[in-house]
Amino acid sequence: MKRLDIPSERHRLDNGLRVVLSHDDTVPVVAVNLWYGVGSRNEQPGKTGFAHLFEHMMFQGSEHVPKNRHFELIERAGGASNATTWFDRTNYFETVPSHHLDLALWLEADRMGWMVPAMTQEKLDNQRDVVKNEKRQRYDNQPYGDWDERLQKLLWPEDHPYHHTVIGSMEDLDAASLDDVASFFETFYRPSNAVLTIAGEFTRASVLEKVDRWFGDIAQGDAIPPIPGRSEVPPLIGSTMRDRVVADVPLPRVIVAYRIPPYSSDDFAVVEVARAVLGAGRASRLYRRLVREQRVANDVVSYAFPLMSGASMLLVWATGFPGSDEAALEEALTRGVSDLADVEMSEVERAIALTETDVVRSLETVAHRADVLSMLELHFADPARINREVDRLRAVTVEQIRSFASEHFGPDNRAVLTYVPEDGS
Amino acid sequence: MNRGAVVTIMSWAAVSLTGCAFGVAVSSDSGDGEGGSVTVGPGATGGTPSGSASPLDRTVAPSVGPPPSLAPPEAADYTLDNGLRVILVERHTLPLVSMALQFNGGAAAHPASQAGLAGFTADMLDEGTATRSALEISEELDFLGAELSTSAGYDVSVVRLNALEPQLDEAMAVLGDLVMNPKFAEADLERVRRERLGRILQRSAQPAALADDAFLEVLYGQDHPYGAPLMGSSGTLSALTREDVVTFHRERYAPGQATLVVVGDIDREEFDSLVSSVFDGWEGEGVAPPPLAQPDGHRDGRVVFLVDRPGSAQSEVRVGRVGLARSTDRYVPTQVANTVLGGSFTSRLNSNLREDKGYTYGAGSFFDLRREPGPFEATASVATPSTAESVVEFLAELDRMGREQVPADELERARNFIALRLPQRFETIDDVVARLAELAVHDVPLDFYAGYVEDVIGVGGDEVQRVGTDLMDPEGMVIVIAGDVSVIEAPLRALGIGPVHILSAGQP
Repeated sequence: MKRLDIPSERHRLDNGLRVVLSHDDTVPVVAVNLWYGVGSRNEQPGKTGFAHLFEHMMFQGSEHVPKNRHFELIERAGGASNATTWFDRTNYFETVPSHHLDLALWLEADRMGWMVPAMTQEKLDNQRDVVKNEKRQRYDNQPYGDWDERLQKLLWPEDHPYHHTVIGSMEDLDAASLDDVASFFETFYRPSNAVLTIAGEFTRASVLEKVDRWFGDIAQGDAIPPIPGRSEVPPLIGSTMRDRVVADVPLPRVIVAYRIPPYSSDDFAVVEVARAVLGAGRASRLYRRLVREQRVANDVVSYAFPLMSGASMLLVWATGFPGSDEAALEEALTRGVSDLADVEMSEVERAIALTETDVVRSLETVAHRADVLSMLELHFADPARINREVDRLRAVTVEQIRSFASEHFGPDNRAVLTYVPEDGS
Repeated sequence: MNRGAVVTIMSWAAVSLTGCAFGVAVSSDSGDGEGGSVTVGPGATGGTPSGSASPLDRTVAPSVGPPPSLAPPEAADYTLDNGLRVILVERHTLPLVSMALQFNGGAAAHPASQAGLAGFTADMLDEGTATRSALEISEELDFLGAELSTSAGYDVSVVRLNALEPQLDEAMAVLGDLVMNPKFAEADLERVRRERLGRILQRSAQPAALADDAFLEVLYGQDHPYGAPLMGSSGTLSALTREDVVTFHRERYAPGQATLVVVGDIDREEFDSLVSSVFDGWEGEGVAPPPLAQPDGHRDGRVVFLVDRPGSAQSEVRVGRVGLARSTDRYVPTQVANTVLGGSFTSRLNSNLREDKGYTYGAGSFFDLRREPGPFEATASVATPSTAESVVEFLAELDRMGREQVPADELERARNFIALRLPQRFETIDDVVARLAELAVHDVPLDFYAGYVEDVIGVGGDEVQRVGTDLMDPEGMVIVIAGDVSVIEAPLRALGIGPVHILSAGQP
């Protein structure tokens, strides 16, 4: 496969804002992407869900941009805009026709520098309602909707920053005040706690000057406070933790999570390939065994969370059929994972080939490329790593996966969450 | 079907500002072919590119220069001796090739009594051929770094392939084998049927699916193909036989019913020789999809149907009617009108129900444009106690679309939103395939987008208002809500907006 050759230039403004530039003129479109180094892990006890609520408030206007104007202007330009909140970071992004680069920079700079004067109690109350409806729609009103909340509680101790979910507690959100908004802003939304990436078509000669014009006079601010609680945890859970839920769900489902090293660890590439051996594609271990051969599962899901603080999580799940035996489903699932201790070369090769092309394809859009570059700068100060992601995966050996599996996938490192339909069917 | 039940859950736990309601507001509104460059646009008015010397004024939005031009690539469009239509666009930016082999006829090509057949057949294509087992197919594609998926909508059945250019020959050989020689082994049919029955059961627990299915059935009637869900019901899926699948495959998956859209790092000569070797000996007219009967759903004025889902935290609301076919000559004004109503974040529905009232995480609307008139619907998932109030706002916004002209500034914003994001809709080779494939299935000329920007910018407030009066009149709307009937029924009856019926819930 042709080597990736995505350009990336690193810069830093005097106020600490890190800037990554990646030029590409395939289509006349440019992506502006900001990562702030704040997420749900930075929330104090009693303030869970606030990082996400704050992200909503960032769209409620700033000193020079009235409420709704952000989206109105982006839409008028034929662009798209959104934001997401995650455990370790919050990102904001616009994709616009390339001649509207200044518009996106102006909007982002205005809320980075002048957000607080535009905040009102009415806006806070409105977005609190919106976020509550987001929780109802995506979690409360969905079968199995509380799986991540339950799993995080099993996997991380109570004082760990990943013990609580990103959406957080609605009671905590009820207690949030305008003062909280202002103080969160002052604490975390500083140029020195952010990365700005511009990817796509732009004029190389003037782009950095533009960035400095819009962002250069925003005050640097202080260093952000340490993450609350205790991030360091033992590499293994130490036992099999269990949660069995009898609920209004249509089919039984078993979810098994394993504590794994954080995203920053060299071992994470091993986890990524192991994950693909297990669950990527229909030739994957779990799909082949549970769905095609043993026919005990209706679907199989796998995901390795790319988390930074202390320890991360690999999960696999299998949904059964009406009347499935939950113990048998759990046994098939956990055995499928622990058997990785005898993984074969051809399986690893398949997994690497598949993961590699997924990486390359995902980088076809400027929006995703910008997001990956921001992440690599914020977490690793190394955006050029984007071209080496594939090498990291290729370097993973059969031996590494075998030894990782025998260390991490035993009964001393499992969190098992089982959903059983109410009527017992 | 693609990776089918193997789901990767990238950032499920990430919580985002908006749901996906706006990016996909119109489910089949796209397409492009060759054509002139896009050079007009209101963005071009006034100002100079913000230079270095002028003082910085943060109080006004930066002025901009003229929009960049988009020159869509030339599409070659030709038909082979066996009847296969080929549409080819060269794009050499990455060593990738994307294609869609698309067949006339999906779920609307079989009766509603066979609901699920088109999807079941598509799902079975990669379960084994005369010479390849299912596992061999998956492994071969994975090692080649190729992505292959099979699916069926109402109008088409389609096999998609995205492959690396150096491996294109081998990947296409797999695609050809699946399409020409599927085995449809009994044991695999039974296993896949069981999986799909499980998915139907899963759907029956999802409030959005309950509302969608009931809405389509009410609009079209249970005997119309558009009135049945693509997955079918447990009853229709259980009744399908191997013979049904074999027959559907024979009639649909023939070169005489097929269009192959290909975009990427390939040239025509090379591709033609590849196609003739892969599809050597592939013949057949197939059968054109039968014309559809008139919709036979509810049409006696405004009415409310409730699907009971006790304990629901929210109500899934659908307000709509039978809309338009993709072939309508009102396509462009309809897009603009829908953008104003519910096709963007700043649309009236979202501004009102979310940003003003806080009833929902997002409200929107869309025209599902099919070969025959598909549904027009306005949708939101709203907090249970706010259900009746939300319906009032839906009806008020629909009414306003026909009652008064959209103010000039709002109209301009909607037109620009559609016109100027055109380049983004051609960014990836998969995007270009999707645009062209959609034009092809609806017999729209491939140069459709040559004048698209001008057409959109030229839409007047009077045309938008006519879309409002003709298609968005709240008096003729069907309202379907899946939620907790014990809480929402009385307030809805008290609105006096029409008869309220309770549908029997969750019949998968």
